[in-house]
Amino acid sequence: MSLLSYLRLAAAYIKLNWRMQMEYKSAFASQFLAMVLNNSTWLAFWLIFFDRFPVVRGFGQADVVTLWAIASAGFGLSAACCFNLHNLAALIARGQLDTWMLYPRALVPHLALGKLSPTAMGDLAFGYGAYLLLVKPDLEHFLMYVFLTVAVAVLFTGFNLMRGSLAFFLGQAEVLSEQWFFSMITFSTYPSSLFDGWVKLVLFTLIPAGFVAGLPPEALKQLNWNMALLTGLGALAVLGFGSLCFALGLRSYQSGNLMEMRN
Amino acid sequence: MLKTAQKLIAVAKISARANLAYPGEVLGRGTFLLVVLYIFLKLWQATYSESGQSKLAGLSLAEMLWYLTITESMWMSAPKLAQQVDEDVRTGSLAVKLIRPLSYPLYCLSANMGERLVRFSFNLALGACIALALVGPIHLRAEALLMLALSVCLAFLLDGLGHLIVGLSAFWLEDTSGLYLIYTRLTMILGGMLIPLDLFPGWLKNLVVYLPFPYLVWGPVHLLSTPQAELAASFLELAIRQLACLVALSALVALLWQRALRRVSAHGG
Amino acid sequence: MFAVHTEDLRKEFTLKKGLFERRTAVAVDNISLTVKEGQAVAFIGPNGAGKSTTIKMLTGILKPSSGKAQVLGLDPWRQRSRLVRQIGAVFGQRSQLWLHLPPKDSFELLAEIYSLDKKSKQYKSRLEMLIERFELAAFLNTPVRKLSLGERMRAEIAASLLHRPRLLLLDEPTIGIDVVARQRLRELLAQWNREEGLTVFLTSHDTGDIEAVADRVILINHGRVIIDDTIDGVRHYGAPKSADTGEPPDMQSLPALEKVLSDLFTAK
Repeated sequence: MSLLSYLRLAAAYIKLNWRMQMEYKSAFASQFLAMVLNNSTWLAFWLIFFDRFPVVRGFGQADVVTLWAIASAGFGLSAACCFNLHNLAALIARGQLDTWMLYPRALVPHLALGKLSPTAMGDLAFGYGAYLLLVKPDLEHFLMYVFLTVAVAVLFTGFNLMRGSLAFFLGQAEVLSEQWFFSMITFSTYPSSLFDGWVKLVLFTLIPAGFVAGLPPEALKQLNWNMALLTGLGALAVLGFGSLCFALGLRSYQSGNLMEMRN
Repeated sequence: MLKTAQKLIAVAKISARANLAYPGEVLGRGTFLLVVLYIFLKLWQATYSESGQSKLAGLSLAEMLWYLTITESMWMSAPKLAQQVDEDVRTGSLAVKLIRPLSYPLYCLSANMGERLVRFSFNLALGACIALALVGPIHLRAEALLMLALSVCLAFLLDGLGHLIVGLSAFWLEDTSGLYLIYTRLTMILGGMLIPLDLFPGWLKNLVVYLPFPYLVWGPVHLLSTPQAELAASFLELAIRQLACLVALSALVALLWQRALRRVSAHGG
Repeated sequence: MFAVHTEDLRKEFTLKKGLFERRTAVAVDNISLTVKEGQAVAFIGPNGAGKSTTIKMLTGILKPSSGKAQVLGLDPWRQRSRLVRQIGAVFGQRSQLWLHLPPKDSFELLAEIYSLDKKSKQYKSRLEMLIERFELAAFLNTPVRKLSLGERMRAEIAASLLHRPRLLLLDEPTIGIDVVARQRLRELLAQWNREEGLTVFLTSHDTGDIEAVADRVILINHGRVIIDDTIDGVRHYGAPKSADTGEPPDMQSLPALEKVLSDLFTAK
């Protein structure tokens, strides 16, 4: 009953968000295409790079296309469905969680569902398009790819909860949260095999980009379901930790009063 | 002359203060550069060691990282000129700015130049610290640095013209953000910001030298690693190509501006 | 049964300045009050008096530092989800309507959020009644951004009543709205309070609102209750001096409160 009711709620939000986007069709289209174009630029860089150096650290053209397909589709899926979590630090700092707390729904899923992002849909479409058109997978690879993009989306959602929850503890944490995010995105778009030592450790903990740019492309390359499963487990762990941070932070939520009281 | 210099210094001071006013933003740019340069270092370290060569495209690993430091600093310093012109056109504040004694495009270009040079110096200083920490210093020649400075100024001017073209197209296009994105991404990839032109596939390199993009980024920075014997000739060739672009782009801006003015006087902005 | 009951309700905020410096500020200082179901209460006080903080504790948004709060028999902080099913809230600047879509779409979403059965007779009759009473029919399919402020607020209040709440909290509902529309809103709120037995908890800076809607006034300042009395009782505080203050006519009927308010506000 509960799950069904949340699915219905999700459908309702998607419907409304879609209608809203359709009020501004051309803006939606241009934002959507902008993201596709932006990602294509990076793909072009890698194609040029691997044209000159065919293999670096076990990575070739096909691998880097796979990497970008996973990273952008995973990120896109997460941001497309849960865009509010993307700006969580700002929402918390400005006391905008209030509105969401007035509804009889679990706060995090409801907040997450509340806003869709058209640029993120561009990322999602780019990822799937690049994978299908450039890598041309067989059915099993494609199934694994779908699984991995969902896992990466879960990972990004958990990561967003983690970095956004900083605002509960620090108040103004937008810059820090953004830098953390930026580092995550950047590391997520370069082969993890480039890094070693303590940086590698960071990539599976603090900046969990290893679960985006490390395990998934390797899993697809070897068609190794254990690795894919490991990615899924890592994603769930990050989601769990992020939810925990949020739950702990919510206890010390001060709403928008902090600002008012300074005057 | 003295007065102009004083004005410029005043503008630079204000810009510099604005650049430092938000410690969060400084921290942000620092982190950005640190992460990006660290990743580039790792990528090129692997590439150099696996290709078994000490020099690629005439650059050692340290020189490659310095190349990328400068191109990133240039990239990050671009003010939002195109968006601003677009906004001026759309909101009609262009009509108000037309009253100023200075011509609108020239005013945009000079303000853009001032702001960009300050931002660039600042980013470069930040980037240089990071590059020094990562790979240490490289051998630099005074005359190459001077030539770099001159051609970077020209490159910024060219980029300003590019932004103006995108911004002014708001007179005819419903939305210029797409064009803006295409322009900046082409600069990024074809300008050699991420990878020097000498590492492009042959056909692509032969093609892009006929486009303005390489002279916005790659051309100037490339001078640093040009052998001493070819330096003067390379600089001269670059300057001629940049000037040719300058003439072509200025003509395009002038044409657009003329057409735009006609529309403004017809519709009242 | 009490709609709202608090005992020594208190909220302290920790203000952070830099990394180590901390300062504690008391926003709500041991407030005890009881509101019976069906009452209409004006909860007033100057800016920063602790109104919003109290309301946020009563709705479970903020966790009280100490003291007790019960709303409709529930602990707001621990039983927030159950509580908010039974309360409606209209918070001035934060709309629950989607700006770029017609109110109808927002109503449909709210039905989903509150798990209301959109096909049921009960829901349909409720919606019809709200549309009729709040006169929404004319702009039900117009994007909210194209509505006047008065129309928006009518739609806003109707939206917050869709799930049949027993308690309605309103924070400055008439701010920025023109005189005629404002009068209409007051009538509507008073009507719902009288006819549907809805408990109304209202904050406002507008004495006209207070007089038209409320039958009881609670005035707080510096987080403490200063006055808690019926409208009539408040009217007889101090000597009526309205004739020489030259206030707009609709305020003259409540001269003493106006005096008390202005005294308090200036004494701050």
